[in-house]
Amino acid sequence: MMLIPMVTGVEVTFWICAVLAILGAVGLVTFRKPVYSALCLALVMISLAVIYASLGAPFLFAVQIIVYTGAILMLFLFVIMLVGVASEDSVTETLKGHRVAVAIAGLGVLVLLVLAVAQGVHGTPVGVDSANTSAGGNVQGLADLIFSRYVIAFESTAALLITAAVAAMVLAHPELIKKKAGQTQMAAARLQAYARDGVDPGPRPSSGIFARHNSIATPALLPDGTIAQESVSKVLADRVGLRSVDELWGPHDEVLAAIETAGEEPLDVEDLDWDDDETAPGELEPADDHVVDETADEPAPGEPDTTDDQNESEESHADAVAETPADEEKRND
Amino acid sequence: MTPTSFTAPTLDYLLLVPFLIVLGVACLGVLVEAFVPRAPRFATQVALAVVGLAAAIGTTAWLWVDGKSGLIDPFSSTIVSGTVLVDPPVLAMWAILFGFGLISVIGFAERRLHSGATAFTPMAAAIPGSTAESGAREAGLVHSEVFPLALFSLAGMALLVSANDLLVLFVGLEILSLPLYVMSGLARHRRLVSQEAALKYFLLGAAASAIFLFGVAFLFGFAGSFSYDRVASAVTFTAGSDPLLLAGLGLVGVGMLFKIGAVPFHSWVPDVYQGAPTPVTSFMSVCTKIAAVGGLLRLFYVALGGMRWTWQPLLAGVAILTIVVGAIIAINQADVKRILAYSSIAHAGFILVPVVGAVTVGNMLVDGQAGSVASILFYLVAYGFATIGAFTVVTLVRSQGHEVTDLSAWAGVGRRHPVIGFAMLVFLLSLAGIPLTGGFVGKFAAFAAAWRGGYWWLALVAIAGSLIAVYIYIRVIQVMFFRAPESDSAEVDVALPGGATWIVLALCFVGTLGLGLAPGPVLDLLQSAAAFVIPSAG
Amino acid sequence: MTSLYAILAVILFTIGLVGFLVRRNALVIFMCVELMLNAANLLFVAFSSHWGILDGQVAAFFVMVVAAAEVVIGLSIIVMISRSRRSTSVDNEIVLKG
Repeated sequence: MMLIPMVTGVEVTFWICAVLAILGAVGLVTFRKPVYSALCLALVMISLAVIYASLGAPFLFAVQIIVYTGAILMLFLFVIMLVGVASEDSVTETLKGHRVAVAIAGLGVLVLLVLAVAQGVHGTPVGVDSANTSAGGNVQGLADLIFSRYVIAFESTAALLITAAVAAMVLAHPELIKKKAGQTQMAAARLQAYARDGVDPGPRPSSGIFARHNSIATPALLPDGTIAQESVSKVLADRVGLRSVDELWGPHDEVLAAIETAGEEPLDVEDLDWDDDETAPGELEPADDHVVDETADEPAPGEPDTTDDQNESEESHADAVAETPADEEKRND
Repeated sequence: MTPTSFTAPTLDYLLLVPFLIVLGVACLGVLVEAFVPRAPRFATQVALAVVGLAAAIGTTAWLWVDGKSGLIDPFSSTIVSGTVLVDPPVLAMWAILFGFGLISVIGFAERRLHSGATAFTPMAAAIPGSTAESGAREAGLVHSEVFPLALFSLAGMALLVSANDLLVLFVGLEILSLPLYVMSGLARHRRLVSQEAALKYFLLGAAASAIFLFGVAFLFGFAGSFSYDRVASAVTFTAGSDPLLLAGLGLVGVGMLFKIGAVPFHSWVPDVYQGAPTPVTSFMSVCTKIAAVGGLLRLFYVALGGMRWTWQPLLAGVAILTIVVGAIIAINQADVKRILAYSSIAHAGFILVPVVGAVTVGNMLVDGQAGSVASILFYLVAYGFATIGAFTVVTLVRSQGHEVTDLSAWAGVGRRHPVIGFAMLVFLLSLAGIPLTGGFVGKFAAFAAAWRGGYWWLALVAIAGSLIAVYIYIRVIQVMFFRAPESDSAEVDVALPGGATWIVLALCFVGTLGLGLAPGPVLDLLQSAAAFVIPSAG
Repeated sequence: MTSLYAILAVILFTIGLVGFLVRRNALVIFMCVELMLNAANLLFVAFSSHWGILDGQVAAFFVMVVAAAEVVIGLSIIVMISRSRRSTSVDNEIVLKG
């Protein structure tokens, strides 16, 4: 009871935010998924923003939330989504004893700097309240400094921002060299190809996605029982390979065989191959994998290797969006 | 809550004219990029950059001359708004920086070697080996953005060396670095290596700036100000033993030594120098080093000069380590660009030797003869000419349109093309510090400064180190001139460059030999520049 | 009280430094650098309050500007690399993941 009056609001704020910030920082370093790390960083930044507010820096509080958490961190998340949200850091050490050495070095740095702070900071803090009020407010006080003493530094930061804009354009914006053909030109080109080489001008057959697989890498079957080569995009066919006819016909054959062996007995649907899947989702993958989680809820048609198909189509789709592959040799020269 | 009236600062913009010209021309370059049609764009950018840098050099010289004659007075009204300082050493460094910047930018403009293209990738955003890339190559696209980027970087360097305030120093350091991260990822050939170099440089550079910034925060906590003068007086007041000050010194030192490329913060140098486009490598290895040394000099002499006895032994250790590691690892390298990278690490060590010596006329330690600031500047000029020259020769040795940097493939190259071979010989001898070249005079002045500053043992170690380092260059020379080419490397040849590269080679050649044969005038000029390095604090 | 803030800043900085040295993913390494910058900012604000001057807050403001520009450049480099890598080693990746 005696202690309560001695604790100020600033101190309570500090202790709560300090604990949150350190937890966030530890999480940032230890989580294996970049998304979690980014969210932990957000926790650190917001805790620091609150500390800024308690230290008489309301402007920095706002900027920390708006610019750091709102813009910079969102950019991070954006790129994580772009680069691959499911990617994880490997836990294997590339250099033996690297982590132990880093931990020892980190501990050394920590002890040295804490000692320096503990011995070096003297006196009671003045607080910026008087500085804030004498300037007519925190924002006015900062503006006063930025536009008088630090005006050259402020003007020079223009160079940083322009550099950033130019860099983003140079590194991430491919210039369109040729104008993309419109629908009219493409239609004309198709008919020309038909007139010249006899290429079928009609649309190509769609893939066999709804028959037994939900992957667009599954070719459609023609009436004569063979595979329609045209029905799978060339990129996918090169990369994943076309399924063989036997593989596609396999389940059907099993059904027919089952019907034949069943004889007079009524056909027991439960014995058939596809039903294995209804029990499958639970045992397929650990629950933390995003890709499978979404699809596992739906009744998966087809063979037990549904998840592989899913992964495959997921990746092949990403590849189809990206460029066609080329030789490493070509690239490296 | 009545807002106090704002008093506008009195800015002596005249003193900043060279810096503002470079910054303005860089902005103009971005506008050219946006509005000038593609065909005349490249030529416009080259012309703009060259004219801008020439104007910056001209105005720097004008400030220098008028400062001498008293029209404007850089010797009294040196401080602009309290954070930037323009005094004779700064003017000297500006002239050196813009000069080497001009030479590098001319090197960027070389197009004949790449049959009409530049040394930079036609489209950095295209995936290596993709149809978009080959399409861009066939369409003859060029990234002329490198010119404004290089100018922004130079503006950052100019700000860095003239900073009289820790915050401005930090901003300058970042303006210097950010364009270089981008430029090092733009190589035309071996693009994956180049991109990796950019990533590595970026991550390590960002971490180094964060460490530097943390040190700045410590120094701020110690002194209650970012201004060098206030830090210096606080250092004198506490006799340089405050824990916050020591921690700040260490962290800030790490950040600056990283930019210089000193051991043990050198690990980025060989990879980045090898991966970056060769013209960018020569720009980085020379201008960044000059700017970082300039910033370090003012920070350590002016702000932290009161605790010289603390940082001198530390820097001496770093210098020895840098010389030894750089020289010894360079001996084992098989790639010419990596050899030059390690040689530049060793040179960072040689430059630190006179920094430790800390002999300036201004602080009255020793009067007369070349003070250490003058000798550092001279060393940097000599190193700059030889390094840019050597890297330019690297761009010329080619096979099937690509640079060949494998040392064994260089066998006999010097004899097959005697003019280029002789130029490379001069550059390498200057880097080795053989008499009659600029490198010898630079080394002599640098070590002499350390000797006079009381660090004779450091000078002796440095001399021993430079004897080891001679072997690096002798090895390259021996391969170039005295080894018969292997049969499979027969197609390696010296390509004939266009006019731009010839200008660069000629300037570097004349500079290297000129500094060696007649160093007197340059030394005198730099000596008069160095006299005022410490304006007020003592 | 200032020393408490400073110790918090030092702890955050050290965690960031350790993360920078240990982690392998470029994005996470970069986030660790951002953590170090944030720690420096906290130190600036705390010392600003300690001395009763606003210069430290101005410094934190400048750091945020610099960090914003740095993030743009860093992330463009990372995006550029990931695009080239995915298409170069995509076969290996499929083999490894499957």
